[in-house]
Formats: sequence, C-alpha cells, structure tokens
Amino acid sequence: MKVNICHLYPDILNLYGDSGNILCMTHRLKERNIDFSVTPVSVGSSIDFSAFDLFFIGGGQDFEQKLLLDDLKSTGKAVGIIDAVENNKVFLCICGGFQMMGKYYVAPDGQKSDFLGAVDFYTLGGKKRMTGNYIFDCTEENGGHRIVGFENHAGKTYLGKNVAPLGKIVCGYGNNGEDKTEGVRYKNLFGTYCHGPLLPKNPGLCDEILLTAIKQKDSSFTLSPIDDTLENMAHDAAVKMFLK
Amino acid sequence: MKVCFYMRDFLATALCKATRTALRITKRGGTALPGRLAMKVSPEILKKLGKDVEVLLVTGTNGKTTSARMLEQAFVDTDKSYFSNKSGSNLIQGITSDFAVNTTFFGKSNKKYAVIECDEAASKEVIRLVKPKVILVTNVFRDQLDRFGEITHTLENIYTGLSNAPDATICLNADCSLTSSLAKRLPNKICFYGVDVPLYEKPAQEVSDALHCIECKNEYKYTYKTYGHLGGFYCENCGYKRQKCNVSVCDVLEQTPDYSRVIMNCNGEKNEVKINLPAGYNIYNAAGSIAALTAMGFSFDEAKSAIENFECGFGRMEKFDLGDKDMRMILIKNPAGCNQVLNYISSFDDKFAFALCINDKIADGTDISWLYDVDFEKLTSFGDRLSNIYISGSRCYDMALRLKYAGISEDKMKILPDFDELIGALTSQSCPVVIVPTYTAMLEFRSKLLKKLGGKEFWR
Repeated sequence: MKVNICHLYPDILNLYGDSGNILCMTHRLKERNIDFSVTPVSVGSSIDFSAFDLFFIGGGQDFEQKLLLDDLKSTGKAVGIIDAVENNKVFLCICGGFQMMGKYYVAPDGQKSDFLGAVDFYTLGGKKRMTGNYIFDCTEENGGHRIVGFENHAGKTYLGKNVAPLGKIVCGYGNNGEDKTEGVRYKNLFGTYCHGPLLPKNPGLCDEILLTAIKQKDSSFTLSPIDDTLENMAHDAAVKMFLK
Repeated sequence: MKVCFYMRDFLATALCKATRTALRITKRGGTALPGRLAMKVSPEILKKLGKDVEVLLVTGTNGKTTSARMLEQAFVDTDKSYFSNKSGSNLIQGITSDFAVNTTFFGKSNKKYAVIECDEAASKEVIRLVKPKVILVTNVFRDQLDRFGEITHTLENIYTGLSNAPDATICLNADCSLTSSLAKRLPNKICFYGVDVPLYEKPAQEVSDALHCIECKNEYKYTYKTYGHLGGFYCENCGYKRQKCNVSVCDVLEQTPDYSRVIMNCNGEKNEVKINLPAGYNIYNAAGSIAALTAMGFSFDEAKSAIENFECGFGRMEKFDLGDKDMRMILIKNPAGCNQVLNYISSFDDKFAFALCINDKIADGTDISWLYDVDFEKLTSFGDRLSNIYISGSRCYDMALRLKYAGISEDKMKILPDFDELIGALTSQSCPVVIVPTYTAMLEFRSKLLKKLGGKEFWR
C-alpha cells in the first residue's frame, strides 16, 4: 500500500503552520510502515489527478488569492479538482483553501469573485474577524471526533441545502458564527477553518482521512493503533483550557 | 500648529502619575493602566505630552527591543537628557504612561529626547501623536496572525503610522522587500540599511513571508539570502529590487556565541564594529540602529560605541550567571525569530541543555500553529551536543508534539509545565543552558529565576 499525497501551493498557502498537517499524516503512515509520497505542486504546473490519493490545500493571504485563481484556471487544475472531488478523491482543505472550493466569495465592498465551485457553498467577507481557540464535534459520518483548534477568518461560509458540515460547533464561531456548522464534508472532500494545525492533536480525524484515501484502493484495509499518548495529552489539555 | 495644554490634560497627567506611583508602591508593576486612565480623561494626551520631545521611534516585527537598547546606549554615553519606554510596554497606553512620568503636571517635558519602541499596530496612532524625528523600521515577518490576520495587514499598519509623520527621516531595511516597499509610498527622507552578504552556512529551512513581488506578484529571485525572505531580492518582471544602502554590513569577520564582528559601511566610510550580542539578526539590529542614530544627529563613532557597549533587553539574549555555568535566555515570538535562534545555537561547539517555554496569552500570540513554521527538525542534527530538551509553558504538550513530529525522541524530552520545577531542573544542569520562552513565559520565568538568584524586576 502506498499513499500518494499532493500538496497544493505549499509555498504560498502556508500562512498558519498548516504544513503541520502533512507532517502528521506522513508520521502516522510511517508508524504503520505504510509507504507514501508527498508531491508539491504550485503555480504554473498541472496535475495528473489519477496519480494521487489525497490532496492538501492550506490557508494563505488575500494578497495571493487572485494569483491562485488565475493559475487554477490557466493550468487546468480547476477543472481537474472539480472532477477529482466528484470522483471521490480525498481532499483536505484548510481556511483559504476551503473557501476556494466553494462557488463564490463576496468581499465587504460587494465585489464578487467566482471560486472553483467544486462544492455548493459560498462565503461572504465579514467586517469582524472570527478568531480564537474553538472546539467542534465531527458528525457521526466523520467519526464523531471532538476537534480542538484555532480559527482565524473574516469570511462567513454558508453551506448549500444538501451539503453536510464536517462538524457542529461546541464553542467558537465555525463557518459563519450563526448556524453552528463547522467546515464541510462533501463526498471525500474535508474542508474546515481549523488551524492549530488541525491534525496533530486530533489524531482520530487524521486516521479517518487517511483511511478514507486508503479504502479507495483497498476497501478492507485497517489502520493499526499507534502510540497516541502525547497526541491525546495535547488534545485533552487544549480541550480543558478552551471548553466553555 | 500650537498644541495647548488644557485642564483635562492636567487631570489626565496627574491621574497617570498617581496611578503609576500607586502601582509601584503596591509592587504591581502595571504599565498599561495609568496610560489607559489618562486617555479616558484626555484622548489625545500623548500629543500634548510629546510636543517638546524629540522622538526616535522603532517599530517592526522583530528586533524592536534590542534595537531600542542599542539606540538608547548612544544617549546614555553622550549624557543626553532622554527617556525610553524601558518597561517593555510598547502599546499606546504604556507609551502614554512613560511620557506622563517624564512631563511636569503642566505638560512641560523634563527630558529633551525619547527612544520609543512601538508595536506595529500601535504605531498608527502613536506616530501621529508624537511626530518622531526619526523612525526605524526593522522588518516585517509573519507574527501574531491572531492579531494581524495577514502579513500585509502588519505592513499596512506600519504604512498608516509612517504616513502621519511626513517630516520624519525613515530608516528602512533594504533587504526586506515588504519594509522597503514603503519607500515609494512616502514623501519622507529615506535612509536604507542592510546586510550585503549571506550570514549562515547552513541556514534553517524557512517559509518565506514574501515570495511574490509586492508590485506585480511575480516570484522574487535572489542574488543572496541572509534569512527568511531577507537578502538581495529582485523581480525580473517589474524591476523592483533591493535598494543601495546608506548604511550596510559589507563583511562579517566573526560570529561567536557571544558577539559578532563586522565591517560597517556608513555613507561610504568603512569601519570595524563589534556587536555586543551574537546572532545574525542582531547584525541587522546594529545596522538599523547605526542608520537611525546617524539620522538623529549622532556621529558614526558615537553610534559604533553604542553598538559595542549596549545592554540587551530582558530576555533578549540575556545571560544569567548560575554559578558554574551560564543560562542564555532568548525570547521568541514568531517563526523567523525562532529559526534565527536555531541558527545561532547550531554554532555552539560544546554540549548544552535546551528549554522551550511556550505560552499562548495575548502577548505571546494566541494561535500556536506558528510552531509548525519553525524548522525544529534542525535540532536532530545537533547529536550529542544537545543534552536534554525541557518543555514548559501553558502549551507544553503542543510543543512536545511538534518536537515528536520533528524527529526528536520522546526520551530526550522532559515536559515540566511548572516553572519552579523547570528552574530546579535547569539550575542543576552541569552544562550551559539556552532557554527560549515566548513573551509572557519570559516575564514569569525571569521573575521567578531572579527571585532565586536576586536581580531587578522588569518594570524597575
């Protein structure tokens, strides 16, 4: 078994330590002696989507957003991503990467930008930034894990009628500070506003995502348990500090 | 424009002085409250208090405090009448409080000059109110993204501040494409400073905070790099590039664990300067300080002397004598600073113990994701030189987890959340210690350590 990970725009969408999610995934694969590869793909390159099992996109600045949207169109990555999502490829998208998967974004001044449209949701740029440590519980479909992390976004995301969230907010803002949804789970696309980074102290969700990718190739595969003492200590200490 | 001192300004000043004295007497050491109360009574009180004072202000992401100590030394050495916001409070409340202390009840300044360290976001208002004569901008890096959101926001905060002082001479880091982009947006007299040569043989692997040209978004190329995104950058597309410097380090003669020796080029004249603190980022602080001091009217010799004699700020490469060995305390706040600490300790020849204290209060940055932008993997190349790694602070488990992913064996890590226990463990080491805390961890640990060893509280 080999898990081939594609890290999209690692040089630009790297603002909040999100590459730590790649570190976590590769660490947990290594511990189980599962072979893997991580391929960075950035501006100017196209992707052979069939060569990868898991795609990761982190968060970044508004400054580079137009550059990215132009690149996604011109290199064919946009069309490829939409197809890959529909064909159940696994995506993990954080913050800016998550927003980009939606249909559009409306800035506070009213200017509308078309995004990829891979998933039915949209984002409205708010004036107030939603920042702080937060906790959400993944839905049953996503393993029911309690997730603790940090959110930092002005965008308010509203999911389409038939689109499920990744989880429900326990404390904090989540997608929009209104409907208590956090993130999105559409086919095998996991989207979230969660930094921290997301996966290191939420190992259950990491394994959930890895297994989803692995099962596309071998549906009977299981992940053996590994030593998560430190992960759980970090998780529990954070939940204790931030649960309100 | 005449600045008048009214009754409410008198009351504000009096209230500020009284509160501050009360806090000192009760040994509370607060710096923000006096200023905050004064501003409630007279919102623009800082403008009134600063009208007679010639201000040298330093802002930017990293290096403010160390630069302020370098700058201050020149005033001390030449016996000038000055004050500085030494208490480390660099927001408007603390700065207001420090101005009030150095002004009479009727608004006349007791001191001719002030050296002010100012937070990047606070610089928007502070610069407008005190109208500095010289402003030194150190650099712009990702830092406290829970406060600033994005790196460009930090830059815009600084721009807004600078645009409120059109008569100031502004010293900009030419090697920082973000900082030096301010030059063409401002009418001010600009003095560029920088480092002309690379600083490290094997620098830490770093994320870049300025990958794409700020003008046209094309990817920058470099003739050489020093650290982070700093160096001889240029854009092939639009031509934006590193400017020629008025003050620059044109050669690095020696970098030791305690100091650096460089050749400094100041407006064409080259001289050897010994910088009284080690590490590459202090070479930048020295170049910037010499630029700012000469712009302020000091001679090159006076500026050079300041760099050679200054005392570090609290926790900024500060040395503690533990009897049979030293402890070096180096404050960290963001990936760039922490990577430079790793670059610095990689130059040690002898065995040392390492301690990381990570808090997440507001002054530390509440989002500790930044730990994953630091090249802690570098620690695995230290071999036996690194004896033990102690981990403390409110986010010690997150730090330990980061090190686990960096490849550090859990046997080498000792997690001690309690600072008293940590002090016990560190003081019983037989080898030198390097302790690397975030801001509030630094204050708390330092205070406990000094109680044990005997020394000054930070606000005295």
